[in-house]
Amino acid sequence: MRLGDRPVNASDYPFPPSVEILYCDHHDWLHGWLRRRLGNAADASDLAHDAFLRLILKPASRGFDSFGEARAYLRAMAQGMCINLWHRREIEQAWLDTLAARPEEYAPSAEHQAIVLEALHEIGAMLLDLPPKAARAFLMAAACQMTDKEVAEELGVSTRMVRKYVAQAMLCCLRSQARQTLDDLSAGGRA
Amino acid sequence: MISGSAIPDTAQSDPPHEAMEAAAEWYALLRSGEATGGDQARWQSWLAASPDHRRAWGYVETVSRSFAPLQATPDPRRTADNLWAANGRVIRRRRAFAGIAVLAGSGLLGWAGWRHAALPGVVLAGLADHRTGTGELREIVLADGTRVWLGAVTAINEDYRAGLRRLKVVAGEILIDTAPDPARPFVVDTPHGRLRALGTRFTVRLEDGGSTFLAVYQGAVEVQTGAGDAAIVSAGRQLRFAATLGSQETADAAREAWSRGVLVARDIPLEQVVKELRPYRTGHLGVAPEVAGLRVFGSFPLRNTDETLAMLESALPIRIQRTLPWWVSIEAKGEAASR
Repeated sequence: MRLGDRPVNASDYPFPPSVEILYCDHHDWLHGWLRRRLGNAADASDLAHDAFLRLILKPASRGFDSFGEARAYLRAMAQGMCINLWHRREIEQAWLDTLAARPEEYAPSAEHQAIVLEALHEIGAMLLDLPPKAARAFLMAAACQMTDKEVAEELGVSTRMVRKYVAQAMLCCLRSQARQTLDDLSAGGRA
Repeated sequence: MISGSAIPDTAQSDPPHEAMEAAAEWYALLRSGEATGGDQARWQSWLAASPDHRRAWGYVETVSRSFAPLQATPDPRRTADNLWAANGRVIRRRRAFAGIAVLAGSGLLGWAGWRHAALPGVVLAGLADHRTGTGELREIVLADGTRVWLGAVTAINEDYRAGLRRLKVVAGEILIDTAPDPARPFVVDTPHGRLRALGTRFTVRLEDGGSTFLAVYQGAVEVQTGAGDAAIVSAGRQLRFAATLGSQETADAAREAWSRGVLVARDIPLEQVVKELRPYRTGHLGVAPEVAGLRVFGSFPLRNTDETLAMLESALPIRIQRTLPWWVSIEAKGEAASR
């Protein structure tokens, strides 16, 4: 059993550290951290499990050589996971609310619903990173196919402003799309 | 970026920032409802001018395509408004994480872990009326006296109204013992169809492959698939269906024992035992192909899967390999001993 009270930034891990070392040193801490934030042990177990699975599947992600770095990485990862979990559940709820407002005869298939949910999550995640006004204008323009004039009336701004918001939002999305494509390519190159 | 520089122009390099900026502006103009024929022509020549422009525009198309499923919903405006409200709740919650800025959907994590977990069931399950987690079994009694047992990792929604008693299975497996009510039919909906109980005890399970499994132990159940196929399944019979009906087989009456926390195996392959155990364990439980086909007999406790694994280990030529506490694989005995 390794000790948790070592100096934080010493290079005290073999590089890269094995999953076993990381598991012994950090699993209980990570599980407790997640449980306190999520308020439930089952979700905490699932996320902790996913976090270590990630470390196994992507050895390149274990690019740290000390206890302190590993913990900082896991903490950042755990925060992202919590936000993602909440986001996905909120998106689910939003979709259920949408469905609940529909007449009985509208019953999309499970596959179709899965596609819509994926799209909602992807778009929702994109919008989270945008300035709120640009995000709102972009959503109305792109999802509801409203003209600039309609969006402008709704938001109480000029059409010029709407055009600017839409371009700004699209540019952010293009950048993250390009980043993602690069990640995918480099991940493919390593495999 | 300077074209003709030493960096080869492969798909791995980003389109230059100016091209991305221009593409975003063209998009904003062309969809504004105010673009003229002249704008269209200018856009065409911009596009023709450089491969960077075309690559940047390709990204525009990818991003705008991601909105297509939303546009196709019956009321895109409501869908978008609900999405907006959901995002607002997440943003407020994200602020509660003081310190490090966290971006959902950032490259660090992604959703691979959730995708493999049978979407959308796993997420819908979080919001269901009745749910169980890993390793949990629960019996509930509904308002009319109908008894429902939920297997592990199961979620159902309850919808009782004046003319109808309806349960919807979102994930997992339930066993139902219906209470009679001549005025209100009892139905169970799954993504694949509707089951109407004709005075009865039956089990319904959503399976990974995208089908519904039904086994009837008492009475009969009328099945109607989403595609309109229909059949009556009587006591002692079971079948699988998705859009169309599978063939009816003799039901394994012993399977019903899961509702009492017992896995009864009567000459079933080890692989199937493992499949039945998985919802009752946290973490990975794998079985090596050489031993997957071993036949299993016996009764095993579902609530204590470690004990079940130990029982299997003593009865069969297998070895339980614990790589990590949550990573367990079942291997052939000889193979493990030689390590």
